[in-house]
Amino acid sequence: MTSIGTGYDLANSIFSPDGRNFQVEYALKAVENGGTSIGIRCKEGVVLAVEKIITSKLLKPGANKRIATVDRHIGIAFSGMIPDGRHFIDRARDEARAWRDTFKTPITTADLASRMGGYMQAYTLYQSVRPFGITTIIAGYDSPEDERVDGEVGRGPSCGAGGKVAGKTHGGPYLYMIEPSGLYWGYYGAATGKGRQAAKAELEKLDLQGDSLTLEQAVKEAARIIYVAHDDSKDKDFELEMTWISGPDGPTKGLHQEVPKALREEAERLAKKALEDDDEEEAKEEKKDDDKMEE
Amino acid sequence: MDHRPQAWGRPRDDVFGPYDPSYLQTTGPKTATQQPIVTGTSVIAIKFKDGVVMAADNLASYGSLARFTDVKRLHPFLGHTIVGFGGDVSDMQYLTRHLNELAIDEAYDHEAASAQSGGGSHLNAANLHKYLSKLMYRRRNSFDPLWNAILVAGFDSQGKPFLGSVDLRGTAFTSPSLATGFGAMLAQPIMRKYAATEGDTENMTRDEAVRVVKECMKVLFYRDARSLDRYSLAVVTKDGVELSEDEQLEQQSWAFAERIRGYGTQTVPSLSGSETISALLALYP
Amino acid sequence: MFRNNYDNDSVTFSPQGRIFQVEYAAEAVKQGSVVNPKPAQRRRTLVLPKKLFPIDEHVGIAIAGLTSDARVLSNFMKQQCLGHRLTYGRSMPVRTLVDLIGSKAQINTQHYGKRPYGVGLLIAGVDEHGPHLFEFQPSGMTEEMIAFAIGARSQMARTYLEKHLDKFADCSRDELIRHGLRALKESLVQDRELTIDNTSVGVVGIKEQGEDGAAAKIEPFRVYDGQDVAEWIESVSDERGAEGEGMEVDS
Repeated sequence: MTSIGTGYDLANSIFSPDGRNFQVEYALKAVENGGTSIGIRCKEGVVLAVEKIITSKLLKPGANKRIATVDRHIGIAFSGMIPDGRHFIDRARDEARAWRDTFKTPITTADLASRMGGYMQAYTLYQSVRPFGITTIIAGYDSPEDERVDGEVGRGPSCGAGGKVAGKTHGGPYLYMIEPSGLYWGYYGAATGKGRQAAKAELEKLDLQGDSLTLEQAVKEAARIIYVAHDDSKDKDFELEMTWISGPDGPTKGLHQEVPKALREEAERLAKKALEDDDEEEAKEEKKDDDKMEE
Repeated sequence: MDHRPQAWGRPRDDVFGPYDPSYLQTTGPKTATQQPIVTGTSVIAIKFKDGVVMAADNLASYGSLARFTDVKRLHPFLGHTIVGFGGDVSDMQYLTRHLNELAIDEAYDHEAASAQSGGGSHLNAANLHKYLSKLMYRRRNSFDPLWNAILVAGFDSQGKPFLGSVDLRGTAFTSPSLATGFGAMLAQPIMRKYAATEGDTENMTRDEAVRVVKECMKVLFYRDARSLDRYSLAVVTKDGVELSEDEQLEQQSWAFAERIRGYGTQTVPSLSGSETISALLALYP
Repeated sequence: MFRNNYDNDSVTFSPQGRIFQVEYAAEAVKQGSVVNPKPAQRRRTLVLPKKLFPIDEHVGIAIAGLTSDARVLSNFMKQQCLGHRLTYGRSMPVRTLVDLIGSKAQINTQHYGKRPYGVGLLIAGVDEHGPHLFEFQPSGMTEEMIAFAIGARSQMARTYLEKHLDKFADCSRDELIRHGLRALKESLVQDRELTIDNTSVGVVGIKEQGEDGAAAKIEPFRVYDGQDVAEWIESVSDERGAEGEGMEVDS
């Protein structure tokens, strides 16, 4: 790193002569060392999956959750410094609550992403703080139905306009990813953490813009991608954590929930099988190559 | 010329006469809520051996005007608790919003804590009752009360049926049966006939409890002028809350009313017009 | 000479994305003597020399590192538990409590002029979800463990705990305490022994459930030291040299 020693990387919010904020780039390094997180958006909903590296045998299996719910319909996964992630989630929950207090309605995923993007960005502006050492993936399903305003009692008039436009739909599945710089975009499939390269390569193979992928398939793909991304790094043991959000007609009824154990285990079984098959194929390929060489 | 700072910017006394500061004074202390505005009437509830039954009508009155007739005053909380509100409707709305946020927060904790144990209990009715009593008492002590009488029904930490009340003063207690407002006078004696003690409720069936509550709602509709014959009925059991928000009072009989002097557009056929006038004069000399 | 420019405060990332001040704070934890609790299905046990604090009826902590920092955190935890009890009439869920100090500690790692807490904690508690054991680090990291040890030379104790990990779930109360003491013994420097003067044991758990199906009551957190631990120490003292497979006395 050529920047080291020039002094422009010693404090946050300092521009180097070529216009970079090195502390933000270093924060990104913290993310790149963290366990892989991915998000997949399909027509029916969104899936989040994280790879949790098991750092000690003494950890209680399954007890330390890394994907959190915000309000009822949004989930947040992250890679990087875990305490930073916890703080980020606390803040996101505060934002969601403040939104409810103000507008008496749940925050939309886009609005939460915007607020939290702004929050992350603010931590790149001052020398008195450091940027967040995390990249977060925000998934949500905004209700397509007319929701009752918080605290509403009874109904409005049974006739009259009501402000509806025929054929116009609302809500749906959303997926955003926010980086330490505060930069965020909406995604069909998002990946961050150590195994992001492999995961992105796999995500690109999926038809996420069409409607061919069902939510359950997305869960299975998510599990497989985490396994592939992990396999690539040949790391220690890991635990897979997955959550999903469907629309009101789907399995989670618009709520962000952990993927049921049975489905997760099935997805993991398929993921392991897919990896083995790949290995076998590779072995065959290699064999073929060897044969050719011999010829 | 008066050069003291407190005279700056004031009309000169020697020109305009002494300044009269009386209009600047506020009379009396700062006041917050002095009375409820749009109100709901009684909430009643009774325990039975497997849970609690609660009911409240769907009316919100503006003084004597029946202003809203489809207002829901029973609110489920986290699956196994029901909260019923009497009194000011906007304060009720504030509280239900607040409880909704409390439920969301509780779900955050629960999600993290129950990761392994696969369940465990939420904030239960007894916990919520305690919380609301602290909230109401704090508001009363800041002289800005939430003008409600609240019943909380569900289960306590031992899994036994729980029923408690809190009012705008923060007064909190529990009982085998409870009623707020007019219900405390009219329904409570009827409910006590069936369940005077905790022991009685342990023998009471669900059907019996529902029947008693429906009977009480009828009596309340007969005698409470700010009530309605459409009401909500909630039954809390271990399986959760069954809430029906569109119950209709059945088998009403207004025969008793005929004997009440001054009821409705009563005419007394045996009296002639002048006799009626003199009878009325006798009544209101 | 090489000088690390990235370790002066907790608001500077190193080019590798590390925060040295937080890592240094973690070193302070290793200065403290060992603490190692270990838990079973129904109970959490804490064992260590002189560093146990009760927080509430259902929670106790063990500390390693700066005692004054630990006091700040333990006071905070006591207040939170008390407040929760007052407001809701129930004991605070242990995870909720641990998350609170986790968030508190994280703030100190992201703002200039603050320093990370120089203390590690083990938090043992019982709530509606059963017994729990958490580890707290200066970084704000909190994790639920089956058994754990922190502080000076704690690696040896952890090795012991890992070896006997499967047994804790079905242990009796006394067996669990003996496991704790044996793990603690592993961390002692040469020629030192566990004595009633250097050992305390903290226990919090669930009492055996009544036949009538009544809700299980908790055994409140209590610190045992002095003569109260003599018998336990005695019962593990003659096992020296009988390490390894020879230790299967508690099956």
